[in-house]
Amino acid sequence: MIEIESGAWEVMVSHAESTFPNECCGAMIGNIEGDQKRVTAAVPLENAYTGAQGARYELRPEDLLAADRKARAAGLDLIGIFHSHPDCDAYFSKTDLENSCPWYSFVVLSVKSGKFDHAASFLPNPDQTAAEKEELTWPKS
Amino acid sequence: MAKVLIPTPLRQYSEKHDSVELHGTTVGEVLASLTARFPDLRKQIFNDEGKLRSFVNVYLNDEDIRYLKKDATPVEMGDTLSIVPSIAGGATSVAEPPTTLSKEEILRYSRHLIMPEVGMEGQLKLKNAKILMVGTGGLGAPLGLYLSAAGVGRIGVVDFDVVDFTNLQRQVIHGTKDVGRKKLDSAADKMLDINPNIRIDRYDVALDSSNAMEVLKPYDIVIDGTDNFPTRYLVNDACVILKKPNVYGSIFRFEGQASVFANPGGPCYRCLYPEPPPPGLVPSCAEGGVLGILPGTIGLIQATEAVKLILGIGEPLVGRLLLYDALAMRFRELKLRRNPECPVCGDHPTVTKLIDYQQFCGMPHREEPAMSVAQEGEIEPTEVKAKIDRGDDFLLIDVREPHEYQICSIPGAKLIPLGDLAKRMSELDSAQEIVAHCKSGVRSGKAVDFLRQAGFKKVRNMKGGILAWSDKVDPRVPKY
Repeated sequence: MIEIESGAWEVMVSHAESTFPNECCGAMIGNIEGDQKRVTAAVPLENAYTGAQGARYELRPEDLLAADRKARAAGLDLIGIFHSHPDCDAYFSKTDLENSCPWYSFVVLSVKSGKFDHAASFLPNPDQTAAEKEELTWPKS
Repeated sequence: MAKVLIPTPLRQYSEKHDSVELHGTTVGEVLASLTARFPDLRKQIFNDEGKLRSFVNVYLNDEDIRYLKKDATPVEMGDTLSIVPSIAGGATSVAEPPTTLSKEEILRYSRHLIMPEVGMEGQLKLKNAKILMVGTGGLGAPLGLYLSAAGVGRIGVVDFDVVDFTNLQRQVIHGTKDVGRKKLDSAADKMLDINPNIRIDRYDVALDSSNAMEVLKPYDIVIDGTDNFPTRYLVNDACVILKKPNVYGSIFRFEGQASVFANPGGPCYRCLYPEPPPPGLVPSCAEGGVLGILPGTIGLIQATEAVKLILGIGEPLVGRLLLYDALAMRFRELKLRRNPECPVCGDHPTVTKLIDYQQFCGMPHREEPAMSVAQEGEIEPTEVKAKIDRGDDFLLIDVREPHEYQICSIPGAKLIPLGDLAKRMSELDSAQEIVAHCKSGVRSGKAVDFLRQAGFKKVRNMKGGILAWSDKVDPRVPKY
């Protein structure tokens, strides 16, 4: 299961809301103990998709590499990726699955009419043919 | 020899090492050493054919090896290899145009679906259409209500204003409970209540040359529902440049106009009005008033034209300017032609990118405070009140119109409408101190200038007019 701490959560929600009506993306940093993942910091990253970004996002590997280095320098780990679905539910779409990787938790934030609505986390399989839902907790305000 | 950084989730396959030093003279050799040492890592990084998995990128220091010599890229002592996944995605349900309607939508749109001119095909065109509405005021209100009800799938809304009591007489998308709210939120709530199947993009900005192209870009059609010349020229020029039809409407008192500009081959707003009128010549609705129902009529003509353009049916209002006179209850039509000399849509356009429209229309910039016509010789409403209370000998003249005087007035003020001032000057005594007021201070400023030129020396303008009087002296006086 994955738990997001309040500081990181605020960054994720505000990034998702301010990027609305486009999709946002970013990295989640924290630590893993056994099955328990804890996100202590979130890093907003630029959506590098070159077409309309209302329903697409793309992470630059360089940006992810930089986030990974930043995490390592702080003695933490890169443990997940987050992105938003503007005016759409937080499900793992076909596009999400086909362009994912099995190593990280993928948190999807549903933003409806500019406001955060709900979220879910997914773990894609190695062949990117299916994703398992992961238990996600965030600070409810 | 090089250092390989292991991503956190893969450390379960690397005996928990977060980095390992490995032998090899090329990237390929180093990766081979890696999977030889940790066989379980192999299937995470390579596919069954022994190639790097599609989502795996290998970086040598800061460079992707794909842009170097791939596997053959030489490595040296001190180099670092990183394994970085490519990640992308998106809510495909929105990215892929819907090709069906839900059961609920079929019921909702049944009166459209049974008309062959619309039908399933047409309703899906509406669902896949993207329209931008500039403004949620008089014209934007009926536009927003009917376009969402009609099932236009994505509607962009631009407004930075807040709902005010004076809006409610015509801006029917907002209600009394919305006064003080952002028009954007109030309009979006109402539209989503009418039709939750649509998507609304909110733009809480004043459209200007710096943001217009970006805001307009995602949409098929732009509908101009604004009430000022700089935005009207801005929307027109941006639509011509981006080749998007601009559904135009304008309103004043009892009359309105509508047309479709910037449709391929058709004229644009500049073909009709190459230059803006001098500032102040054409009064806005705030200055001249407007019949509350009028924007309903014009906004719905705009909505009709937008829906026709999406469906590709009927005869669009291109090359025609529709004039509506509510008092005569008469529609007239003027033929318009594209002007080959037009600076924007002509054969040799000179305006090919957006300009400064405030300057083009001779307007002061928003951040600059508007200069008062008669800054010298102004008097605060509180001081006027003190003069009245002290019983000072002075004359307070109200230069508004009689119908405005009926709405509210200051006790003791003498009504002389600005237009009558010249012929009624004999009623004034140049030896007596005079204070003039109007609604906000602009007309009384003109009155003060006029009286000074006529030789009156002791005239002053009450700052901010009766609106300021209501704020500073007597809150019982209604504002209008």
